Amino acid sequence: MVVDTEKDLASGNPTGLWSWITTVDHKRIGLLYGASALIFFFVAGLEALLLRLQLTTPNGTILSADAYNQLFTMHGLTMLLVVVMPVAAAFMNYFIPLHIGARDVAFPRANAFSYWLFLFSVVMLLSSFLLGGAPDGGWFGYAPLSTQLEEFVRMDYYAIGAQLLGIASITASANFIATVFTMRAPGMTLMRMPVFTWMAVVVSFLLIFSLPIFGVGLFQMFFDRNFGGQFFGGTGDPLLWQHLFWLFGHPEVYVLVLPAMGIVSEIFPTFSRKPLFGYPFVVFSGIAIGFMGFGVWAHHMYTAGLGPVAEAGFGVATMMIAVPTGVKIFNWIGTMWGGKVKFTLPMMFAIGFVSLFVIGGLSGVLHSVVPSDYQQHDSYFVVAHFHYVLFGGGVFGYVAGAYYWYPKWTGRMLDEKLGQWHFWLMLLGFNLTFAPMHILGLNGMARRTYRYPEGLGWEFWNQVATVGSFIIGISFLFFAWNLIKSRKDGRVAGNDPWDGRTLEWSISSPPPVHNFDEIPVVQHVDDFWYRKYATDDEGRAVRIPDVTGGTIAAETDTGGEDAHEEDMHMPSPSYYPVVSAFGIVFMGYGLVYLPGGWVAVGIGTLITMWGVFGWSLEPVTRDADHD
Amino acid sequence: MSTPSSEKTKMHIDPTERAWMRAAIVVLVIFAVSVTIAGFMLGIQVPTEEQRVNPQTIQDAPPWSEPGVREIVPGEKYDVYIVSKRFFYEPSTVEVPVGAEVTFYVTSTDVQHGFKIQDTNVNFMAVPGEVSKLTTTFNEAGTYDYICTEYCGLGHAAMFGSVLVTQ
Repeated sequence: MVVDTEKDLASGNPTGLWSWITTVDHKRIGLLYGASALIFFFVAGLEALLLRLQLTTPNGTILSADAYNQLFTMHGLTMLLVVVMPVAAAFMNYFIPLHIGARDVAFPRANAFSYWLFLFSVVMLLSSFLLGGAPDGGWFGYAPLSTQLEEFVRMDYYAIGAQLLGIASITASANFIATVFTMRAPGMTLMRMPVFTWMAVVVSFLLIFSLPIFGVGLFQMFFDRNFGGQFFGGTGDPLLWQHLFWLFGHPEVYVLVLPAMGIVSEIFPTFSRKPLFGYPFVVFSGIAIGFMGFGVWAHHMYTAGLGPVAEAGFGVATMMIAVPTGVKIFNWIGTMWGGKVKFTLPMMFAIGFVSLFVIGGLSGVLHSVVPSDYQQHDSYFVVAHFHYVLFGGGVFGYVAGAYYWYPKWTGRMLDEKLGQWHFWLMLLGFNLTFAPMHILGLNGMARRTYRYPEGLGWEFWNQVATVGSFIIGISFLFFAWNLIKSRKDGRVAGNDPWDGRTLEWSISSPPPVHNFDEIPVVQHVDDFWYRKYATDDEGRAVRIPDVTGGTIAAETDTGGEDAHEEDMHMPSPSYYPVVSAFGIVFMGYGLVYLPGGWVAVGIGTLITMWGVFGWSLEPVTRDADHD
Repeated sequence: MSTPSSEKTKMHIDPTERAWMRAAIVVLVIFAVSVTIAGFMLGIQVPTEEQRVNPQTIQDAPPWSEPGVREIVPGEKYDVYIVSKRFFYEPSTVEVPVGAEVTFYVTSTDVQHGFKIQDTNVNFMAVPGEVSKLTTTFNEAGTYDYICTEYCGLGHAAMFGSVLVTQ
């Protein structure tokens, strides 16, 4: 985890483990999010490989039904809440301030708190494997199964763990929204922001509105399990959980994929050397997806018996959400059209993202048609669909972002050859794994079954899928090795290796703690590009001489004295966020093991109060009294 | 965006983008019309919540005390009552003739189960406390398995039954 750069050492930035634990620097927190998410990605991948091994042959004997149920539940939970959301948070943390010309996020210590609460909650969730078994009611946790499961604490880990992850995400989202709305550089209007930052805003709003709904549902589940509540069983309504869950769960899908869309919207213009085609359309279609995402949840519940009117309505709403998505895809193709396309690694992953996401999107439209969904509901066809959207879409997009921004993080380029191996193996493995699941699903193979009988014609495609999943696994070993190796051996990147368009490329790699020596004054979308290039009479970009991609200074010194480094107040490191987060997770453990756990709840409360009071009373900067 | 002249306040839309959006709107209208026709004029059946019941006491009285096939009009109209439990259906086989109008009433006494008849688009949830109802017709003789599609715990993979459709 300790990834001090040579630059840190040279510039006298604090180094060592303690400096990482107490850091409130948005860039370091971003790297911590990224590193943690990558580790948990390998955990989730191992879970998936075990599931695939079990399904290679009919009547598989590698896993018991109990182990299989725990693994598929935790694979879903880990990938969605513990890998893809944090990896998006990693990019947001690192690049929102750099994109808008700010020196940090609005609430640096709350930012650290989000990270540590996330990390401790994940450790708690994963520790359940060793403490009597992991949650086994599915990541969707349908009540009343989840409230009735005999196993003592498993679904309590789910109810509390997901709740705490939600608190971490809500805190982070509020932070990002405040940052974007209050801390933009002069001239950085909303419609000049990079698309990635726009998508981060949309995602933050989605989380703030959808996570509390999930939180309510989780509390009700916890009450049903521990205090004899009747929300979902008895006199309650089992379908209530499904409504609450999917009212969160569907916007969650867009939470996972919109940041990836933002990332490729940065990559396509850079490597096509053209502005993004229809910038306002990409932004507004992202906002439209966010709004409409709240109006389609019942398409997960067509078989629940909602009646023809509701099902027709949700069917049409679901088809409608394909329109803004299609607009974006059209805009990405339009960006490449006629551009000088350079097939660098980030660009290849971005093109992979668009191609695979289109396949997943189209099978999604099939699900929106109610009668056809009855054949596909809870079959492997659905598994194929959402892996094309979330892995083919999400993961390809985030990997594209990692290849694109790695030089900014470390000052060095990722190795091209290892990257090529990674890309082609991942593309091959991905399609071998998930394309056959379309066929299996249409042939009637049901999801969430730990084995299937012989003689149904499912053997061959299941074997293909297992082979494919191991190829994906191997491809990510290339990626991990590349990330480790290139930090020392990679080619030195310089400030602007890709001839980039946005502000982060105007500063050194890795950026200094305070990001910008002087806050830039922004005049265009892709402002940095227009500082490097003018347009000649025929519309071609012509390099402006003498601008080498170095630091861009404000043309007018708007910041006065404060703009100079020696007077900048960067927030001081603080360990109170770690203490507060630790106390909350301590309470969480206690709640899982009620009634004996009340003791732990009490101790956790005291620790949290210590953290929160210390946090409120300590000065933000060491010399805060200095005006 | 930067200059506030009246020329620029009108958003510029590229002709290809405009054409794309028009095509998308036309496709949407076609979708909406066909869904409306299918839903309200062709009488396509979707599973509906028939009534609310108490899952604990439902099997104390008919028809649920003896689930199975009820012949309403011989050869033409049948009602089928099925109770799903962890991890089996009562009854596990039902027999109906080809071409008859079959109405399934399905409920659960414990947790959610699914009820999907393979090779058809009959698929609905069996929710404790609710009776799900769907009418269908089998046009070919043979054995149609019905399987549980909603995850219900350890024995989920082994939960199935079959409909024998006879001449």
